[in-house]
Amino acid sequence: MTETGRYLFAVTRGLVDGELADVPGLRGAPLEVVERDGLQGVVCEVSLDEFGEEALVRNLEDLAWVEEVARRHDDVVRAVSARGTVAPMRLVTIYASDTSVEGQLDDLRGKLLAALDRVEDCGEWAVKVYSASAVTGSPDPIGEKPSSGVAYLQRKRDQAEARRAVDDHVTLVAEHVYAGLSEYVTAGRRLAVQDPRLSGRSEAMILNAAYLVPHISSEAFQAAADRLSERYPDVAIEVQGPWPPYSFAMLE
Amino acid sequence: MTETPRTPATSRPYRSSVEQSPTSSGPAPANLADILERVLDKGIIIAGDIRVNLLDIELLTIKIRLLIVSVDKAQEMGIDWWRNDPMLNTSAEKLRDENKALRERLEALESGSSARESS
Repeated sequence: MTETGRYLFAVTRGLVDGELADVPGLRGAPLEVVERDGLQGVVCEVSLDEFGEEALVRNLEDLAWVEEVARRHDDVVRAVSARGTVAPMRLVTIYASDTSVEGQLDDLRGKLLAALDRVEDCGEWAVKVYSASAVTGSPDPIGEKPSSGVAYLQRKRDQAEARRAVDDHVTLVAEHVYAGLSEYVTAGRRLAVQDPRLSGRSEAMILNAAYLVPHISSEAFQAAADRLSERYPDVAIEVQGPWPPYSFAMLE
Repeated sequence: MTETPRTPATSRPYRSSVEQSPTSSGPAPANLADILERVLDKGIIIAGDIRVNLLDIELLTIKIRLLIVSVDKAQEMGIDWWRNDPMLNTSAEKLRDENKALRERLEALESGSSARESS
């Protein structure tokens, strides 16, 4: 018989018995709830052959494995989020037993409750802004070859200057969009912009922001994003949500 | 003459997957980068019994994020968050290794030159 562990997806409160019965955990294992005085940990059993320390070192280098586990992790967190307030755990948080999970829930009770309080009735919205004019590389201009070294240097200087002007402009637009949405939110933070190969878009990402938005304000938030889109027609503003509050349910 | 950006700004603003359900979690987004950005980087970090070297995960994130794009390129694009991440701050370790390597080279050189001097 192989050894098993308990994979903790998220902490929540107020789940009713059997509410997650139709949501699969990892590798087909059913979700279970470990409860301590109203605080609930959503777990499922995992084999340590796959999720043990040695196996994880290997598996985490395998992007296909990571993708499968990450998507399932996110699906479970979303399912919990749809039923109540959720504090998502980081990927691969694994305990030896339910007793161990209970110990953690007890030890961190105050902090976990505070984290849940902070994100209650809120969703996380992702706002990405793309600009076609902010080119990430340094494209060589079309046209004839420079006639001399001096001409070449001059051209390089002009290019650099033009790029700086564009960069200054998009930086300003990013700041405005970020600040312009703050009115409707509980909290906001800027994440690192993504490489175009990851975002899947040819334009450069100039803002990658996450906001914690009260559900009652989500329409006003989206309307504000629409207004900003109209105001800055030279950038594309992409709004996605609501996500579970991954970026805001942290322990203090 | 100043080069104007060649690419006209044709992108139009758009929103995705937000119309249907404003308050419940929407359809799972397809973008893996968005998911990994959150489940690997964010979320509550507490120690499990299975000790995963966070460094490994973080490095993996970098790899995924950059798809092996060079570090220089990454910094140029403003992707340098790991520099400020204490979990990732391996510079001390790197320096130690580098020092060791340099000391060894120095010793080798010195012994080589002293061998020449004495001959």
